Amino acid sequence: MHGLFLCLALVVPAEQDPPDFVQDVRPILERHCFRCHSSANARSSLRLDSPRGIRQGGNRGPVLKPGNSSESLLIRAVTLGIDGTRMPAQGQPLSKSEIDLLRRWIDSGAAMPKDESAGPEVQHWAFQPVRFVPPPHTAFTGWCRNPIDAFIAHRLERRGIAPSEEAGRRTLIRRVWLDVLGLLPDPEDVDAFVASKRPDAFERMLDRALASPHYGERWGRHWLDLARYADSHGYTIDGPRSIWPYRDWVIHALNENKPFDQFVIEQIAGDLLPGATRDQIVATGFHRNTLINQEGGTDPEEFRVKAIVDRVNTTGTVFLGLTIGCAQCHEHKYDPISQREYYELFAFFNSDDEPTLRLPTPDQEIRLRQLEGELVQLRSRLQQRQSAVRLAFLTAALWDSGGIFGALLTDLQARLVVGQFKGGAAADPILRELAKQVRQVEQERAGLLKKIPTTLVLRKRARPRETYVMIRGDFLRRGAKVEPSTPSVLPPLKPRGDRPDRLDLARWLVSPDNPLTPRVTVNRVWQRYFGRGIVETENDFGTQGARPSHPELLDWLAWTFVQSGWDLKRLHRLILSSATYRQRSDWRPELVEVDPTNKLLARQNRLRVEAEVIRDISLCAAGLLTYRIGGPGVYPPQPEGIYRFTQVKKPWPESKGADRYRRGLYIYFWRSSPYPFLITFDAPRATTTCTRRVRSNTPLQALMLANDIVFIEAARALAARSFRVCDGSPEALARAMFRFALCRPPDDYELNQLVEFFVSQAEEFRSDPQAATLFAGELPRGDLDLPQAAAAVATARVILNLDEFITRE
Amino acid sequence: MEREAAIQGKNGFVLLARRHFLQECPLRLGAMALFHLLLREGLAQAQSTNPLAPKPPHFKPRAKAVIYLFMAGGPSHLELFDYKPVLQRLDGQTVPESYVKNKRFAFLKKDAKLLGTRRRFYRWGECGAEISELLPEIGKIADDLCIIRSMVTDVFNHGPAKLFMNTGSTQFGRPSMGAWVTYGLGSASSDLPGFVVLQSGPRGPRGGAPLWGSGFLPTTYQGVPFLSGPEPILDLANPPGVSRQRQAAFIQRVNALNRHRLNLVGDPEIATRIAQYEMAFRMQVAAPELMDLSGEDRRTLEMYGVEPGKPSFAANCLLARRLVERGVRFVQLYHTDWDHHGNRGLDLGEGLERICREVDRPAAALVRDLKQRGLLDETIVIWGGEFGRTPMGEPRETLGRDHHIDGFSLWLAGGGIKPGLTYGATDELGFYAVENPVHVHDLHATILHLLGIDHTRLTFRFQGRDFRLTDIGGNVVHDIIA
Repeated sequence: MHGLFLCLALVVPAEQDPPDFVQDVRPILERHCFRCHSSANARSSLRLDSPRGIRQGGNRGPVLKPGNSSESLLIRAVTLGIDGTRMPAQGQPLSKSEIDLLRRWIDSGAAMPKDESAGPEVQHWAFQPVRFVPPPHTAFTGWCRNPIDAFIAHRLERRGIAPSEEAGRRTLIRRVWLDVLGLLPDPEDVDAFVASKRPDAFERMLDRALASPHYGERWGRHWLDLARYADSHGYTIDGPRSIWPYRDWVIHALNENKPFDQFVIEQIAGDLLPGATRDQIVATGFHRNTLINQEGGTDPEEFRVKAIVDRVNTTGTVFLGLTIGCAQCHEHKYDPISQREYYELFAFFNSDDEPTLRLPTPDQEIRLRQLEGELVQLRSRLQQRQSAVRLAFLTAALWDSGGIFGALLTDLQARLVVGQFKGGAAADPILRELAKQVRQVEQERAGLLKKIPTTLVLRKRARPRETYVMIRGDFLRRGAKVEPSTPSVLPPLKPRGDRPDRLDLARWLVSPDNPLTPRVTVNRVWQRYFGRGIVETENDFGTQGARPSHPELLDWLAWTFVQSGWDLKRLHRLILSSATYRQRSDWRPELVEVDPTNKLLARQNRLRVEAEVIRDISLCAAGLLTYRIGGPGVYPPQPEGIYRFTQVKKPWPESKGADRYRRGLYIYFWRSSPYPFLITFDAPRATTTCTRRVRSNTPLQALMLANDIVFIEAARALAARSFRVCDGSPEALARAMFRFALCRPPDDYELNQLVEFFVSQAEEFRSDPQAATLFAGELPRGDLDLPQAAAAVATARVILNLDEFITRE
Repeated sequence: MEREAAIQGKNGFVLLARRHFLQECPLRLGAMALFHLLLREGLAQAQSTNPLAPKPPHFKPRAKAVIYLFMAGGPSHLELFDYKPVLQRLDGQTVPESYVKNKRFAFLKKDAKLLGTRRRFYRWGECGAEISELLPEIGKIADDLCIIRSMVTDVFNHGPAKLFMNTGSTQFGRPSMGAWVTYGLGSASSDLPGFVVLQSGPRGPRGGAPLWGSGFLPTTYQGVPFLSGPEPILDLANPPGVSRQRQAAFIQRVNALNRHRLNLVGDPEIATRIAQYEMAFRMQVAAPELMDLSGEDRRTLEMYGVEPGKPSFAANCLLARRLVERGVRFVQLYHTDWDHHGNRGLDLGEGLERICREVDRPAAALVRDLKQRGLLDETIVIWGGEFGRTPMGEPRETLGRDHHIDGFSLWLAGGGIKPGLTYGATDELGFYAVENPVHVHDLHATILHLLGIDHTRLTFRFQGRDFRLTDIGGNVVHDIIA
């Protein structure tokens, strides 16, 4: 403060006209401040290059107090400095006359013009409105099946490349089943499709796939990657949580083809919808998939803030395709998102409670009400009876102790009397009966509650929390107070009331003029079908992300998607029926130089299927898969020793019977020690949102497929399934196995290899019956003898380990 | 000279192991023949497609491998490496407010009382390093160590702090140091993973798998946790009824069919898969062979304190040596639990003594053993936790200290590290690192530097940004490099 007074004392008052902003003030700011405080680089969220920015101030609040220069942060910054740093942090300090001029301008009211102007980064392609682009003309009209193909063919044509021909029907039906359902088609489905002479055979096959309820499981799993779904809290203790009803919600919402905008709104703000249904509240589990730190000695506020940071970042990545998280601690280095705007988004998520919701069935609900009603009645009867007994007893006691003396019972005596009373109460049969009934009803209620599933949801607080900018992302360092709002580079928010809430945000995310959500969404769907998005950086549509390979196609798809009422299944059908999707996936040596990563899509890509799908199709080929949809997590067998590496040992009550063979997405997911098969095959760890899984290829994967008991069981069952449909000759067995697993007959080489293998293995096992028994297990083996059965299992094991088996061709 | 001899010795060891293997396992001869067949057929492809194939560093490295002894829970620097006479004098007094203003602790309150150590310190070796009575064996190798007494980290809860020490970030989803190193350099082992994690102590480390995860890097680079016992890798053993020959026939047939497919569709990913099945097959021999300590002489076992058949930190230290001997790039050992808050059993008394006994001899033996075999020159050994402990005592059942991030100790040995050096210092309370502070990013930058990697150039593009282990910080600490 001393310094400040000194400075004030140095100011020489003079009769002068107030300085002009444009002529006098702005040049000073430009000279000293713009380098760090402009639209291009707004440190501390402060933009001094526009009147609007100056009025708004930065993370520490307003920089001006018009009429009072000595209380203005701007003056303080260039004189005394902030946190020991005098501004400008780099370069020459302001001269005395410059400071003087700024003071006079502020003291005279800090007049500024009203003009606003947008910076260059606002021109970035992804921030422009989605426009309808007519499909281009192309010479490959005979090849094109729908407008998608025109866009693809147009680019190919310009590079002088012809697209690939359509894949064979066996490949196509397996491809569609894997992509849409994550399952294998039954051999009968394959045969029917191959044999069909109808011109719309492909479309009919597609419609069957899209109508299957397993579509919701397959695409639900993709969504759960984004939602960072897991069955435990994460961090170090990693206790269990129940949120599978949210998973069920996702599966069912996709199966009923809930319009995508509604799908989003319910997950972000289902609880705030007028007359919100229970399902809509369950949907808010999307943002309850954040981690919870149960470690001792943690500051709950710190980890509450961390969870909200994750909600903001996930919202940014999943819907906007923006790396908003970069602005948590500082201005976004590349995209026009200020740190202040980050906390304006943060504010939407900062005012919620995080309750657990009970989900009784209608029957359970009725029973629960009954029980609670009975309890009330019983308890009141019990009380009445108790009073009656007590009265009777006291009367008796008084009588015993001789009238008037009884009234003068000492404390001790009274206690004695009560003690006797309790004994007396125990002696009262009616009271005993009532107490017993209460206990029974309470027990039944507790038992019922245990059976009623619960899930985690969001609930708006009655009184919203205040939100402040966190200086350098530190929750203990408060900057300026902010209100919920959306980044200014995107179309404005249209809130329902004075204070925007999550529902306003949700509606803004899917408003027709939001340029990002539709583009990001169609791009991600495209990515699942081709292995790469039209925008390769599916999680970064900002200025540092990749440019779209086919920008017009992206916009056409996004536009069509929104026009269709955000109809996901229509989008799937559109892509799936394109000639582009239906191409062969064989490598074309002549294109390796021209288009090494196949960006132009002159062929389909071969994709190793995801962890869960590998498991599912192995069980599927084996005929073991349990098709039941939904419900809590399951515990298929896993190798021993998994929990050597966790802080707290996790329960793993190995599932028996049908649950052992449920689909991979139902496997109970402990964040600190996930089911090892999933991780080995690149399933995400569910700590942050995952928009694209990597596809690694490792020796550990080979060991699992070759040796894990799950796949040995599958090989045994595939062998058994094959015995049932053929005469048991090596050739017939090999054909049957190929049919079940690869949906095609083997070629001559393959058949030879398998027959030869079968024969040599049978011979081997004949000399080692003990090994044959161990290997084949309790296999119903039809007409085969034991060595042959073991050889069949060995053959099935080979097929389940083929690259083709785990690849979507 | 010494180096040459060492290399000879190393080859001799491998030869010996092979001879032993052939003699002891006549049944596996067929498998060995196949092994070589597979090797010939698959090698050309494996070389070009194996993501773990060795890669050249940025510049001439000082070290080839890292063994990181991670002391999970946060060992107390004040009981082990950082003796503070002033703290002794002020024992029992309230900590000066200037120290704790604006500070947060996991459990302590601001009025906590200073706690002088109850441990005696000695000067060890020619360098005269001060090391506690609790670590006499480590004391004896003081002349090989570089003790950093000025470590600094950013966060004080175990989970985030461990994540930070391993990945350079408190956020999930970033690759660990071991993953970065194998991503940058590949591995010299063709039959074991490039990054192996071993674990001992009463339970797993807090934070679990993300500590050795590969984040946004391909999972090929993630740490592979080895379990104790003869089968360290999940699903390493053949299924019941499958002999080594049968497994060989199986893999041969799978690969024959895959090669056929490769010829038809031309996708190099199939060639990679063929190579990985071959490597898996080799691993099935190499991993149990690695875990089988029967070839180690008695003196070695005694030096480490290994009891055959019993999992322990000592056994893991010996395995670490065996792993780097076999070309594995990065080995990380977790030992719990150093979280001495002062609950019974987890305190600065018996609790600390017990864990020091578990760790002292094996850690020192590892350094000695590596040195004897000429491996220490090319192997960096790191010993340390995610943070240190407060100069203030924590009032629990017995004697303990809270988590502390502003100054703590860690030691390094080998791989181009200056031996016999005590580097940096905390203030007289052992609170703040005041002389030559070494931040976690600096430590990471230095380790990478010793491996021949410029930490600013080892990057991976993700979400439109080039990420690196050291985030936006990190300075190589040249003072501690020989």
